[in-house]
Amino acid sequence: MADPDGSLVLQVVGLRKHFGGVQAVNGVDLAVAEGELRAIIGPNGAGKTTLFNLISGDLAYDSGQIYFRGEEINGLPPPELCRRGLARTFQITSIFRRLSTLENVQTALLTHHRRHHNLFRPARRLYRDEAMVLLDRVGLVDQAPKPSGILPHGDQRRLELALALASEPQLLMLDEPTAGMAPRERHEIMALAAGIATDARLTIVFTEHDMDVVFAVARRITVLHQGAVLAEGTPLEVRGHPEVQRVYLGQRRGTAR
Amino acid sequence: MRVARWLVAIAILLILPPLLPSFLVVVMTEIAIVALFATAFNLLMGFGGMVSFGHAAYFALGAYAAAILVKQAAWPMLLGLAAAPFAAAAGALFFGFFIVRLTHTYFAMLSLAFAQIVFTVVFKWKALTGGDDGLLNVWPPAWLKSPLAYCYFTLVVVGLAMLALHAIVDSPFGYALRAIRENPRRARFIGVNVRRHQLQAFVLSGFFSGLAGGLFAFFNGSVFPDFAYLNKSFEPLVVALLGGVQSFFGPLAGAVGFKILETYIARQWPIYWPLFLGAAVVFVVVALPQGFVGLLQRRAWRTRTAR
Repeated sequence: MADPDGSLVLQVVGLRKHFGGVQAVNGVDLAVAEGELRAIIGPNGAGKTTLFNLISGDLAYDSGQIYFRGEEINGLPPPELCRRGLARTFQITSIFRRLSTLENVQTALLTHHRRHHNLFRPARRLYRDEAMVLLDRVGLVDQAPKPSGILPHGDQRRLELALALASEPQLLMLDEPTAGMAPRERHEIMALAAGIATDARLTIVFTEHDMDVVFAVARRITVLHQGAVLAEGTPLEVRGHPEVQRVYLGQRRGTAR
Repeated sequence: MRVARWLVAIAILLILPPLLPSFLVVVMTEIAIVALFATAFNLLMGFGGMVSFGHAAYFALGAYAAAILVKQAAWPMLLGLAAAPFAAAAGALFFGFFIVRLTHTYFAMLSLAFAQIVFTVVFKWKALTGGDDGLLNVWPPAWLKSPLAYCYFTLVVVGLAMLALHAIVDSPFGYALRAIRENPRRARFIGVNVRRHQLQAFVLSGFFSGLAGGLFAFFNGSVFPDFAYLNKSFEPLVVALLGGVQSFFGPLAGAVGFKILETYIARQWPIYWPLFLGAAVVFVVVALPQGFVGLLQRRAWRTRTAR
């Protein structure tokens, strides 16, 4: 077993998870350095979302190790990982639908600052300005008072990004951040995430189906296939990789430039 | 403007009781107690998304704690009443520890099972609780004995408790609780320990339910095992549904409506009361899913946008 490398934000060693007879994640190794913008791609069922759920503490894994900033995080629950600086979004938009857009972000900030056990202070006025700053960053200032559930889909995805950013993470994991968006919007939101990552010097790992988006922003790409890493490298290397072309890109020549 | 509205409401509550016929003073006292019970219940249902079918357990724990301390241990009434919410909160902490591990139907069923356990213990432990005979002559001291005095006393205690509950709903704790109701998974990923937060809400809800139970013990002058029975558990559920679970004051409005209907209909045609109540609940659930308060809010919103 490899020693954890402290310079890596995220290190995954020999990770395995099966559901019944299906080996969803089958010995994945992954090393993500600080400040990386890493894409994880692969056909449907390659194990991308399962890998995300294992790393973020949403699912228990069968064997292997996960190190976050050099510390083993085996079995830590999501709230604890969030406190340590790991945030994520979900493939299916996950927000607090009947709270206003502003309240969504305020709640995330209150929790991040560990004020959510306070019983008698009106929360309305707490972290309001900070929340507006975050909403401004994702372009939702005008939507602040609206119930988040009635926002257009793209705005809901932006809100979820703001929720993840509220905890001032060091590692941000985005599970298909552009799912269900129009092509132009996809590039916008990925450019937004990439810009924020550079400004805040945070590391992003994301999965994505749209190859245009992937090749536009990712600096390194990991290709998963049948629960294992098939290839890893710069966009150029991955594109030229014969196995990748065979199992993945070749099938979607239409979307790969 | 808002302050003025509150002052008017308080003034009406202060002036009204002496002007009412004495039986309505009694009804008003009971409305206040039921409103507190239903609002405490709705902290879980409306704001936490947790439906308890066994809240009578905490009402009864409060009522019995107060009655037992005053009757068997000869505590003064005010101390007995002060102990009621703490006894109920202790029960809620113990039962809630198991209940919040479950969700939805299983949450409801386990809460019901624990309430039945409380009922059985109260029913069987004759030496302490008087069993089926209950505990009689649990009256407040002379200065509170008149219906009018006890009505004022109840209004003040319930008013302060409602103020506390209102603050809780609007507090950071309340925001996180609503976040859990909306999306427990997302709540975990913004750093909320969901089970722990739900348990805290459960204990708070039990605390105020127990206070309502304690007030009711001295109002009724006696306590009986039915305080822990199913019917009592469904009371706050029906009241909250009638008034609207989405708003803080829904259960209060529901309590007013419920008790007034009960007073006039149940007294006139006692055997038809359950039928009428059932029909009213069906009507509200089908036609007014937001309850009466929701209807008012919707109309207010319409008039505002029409302008």
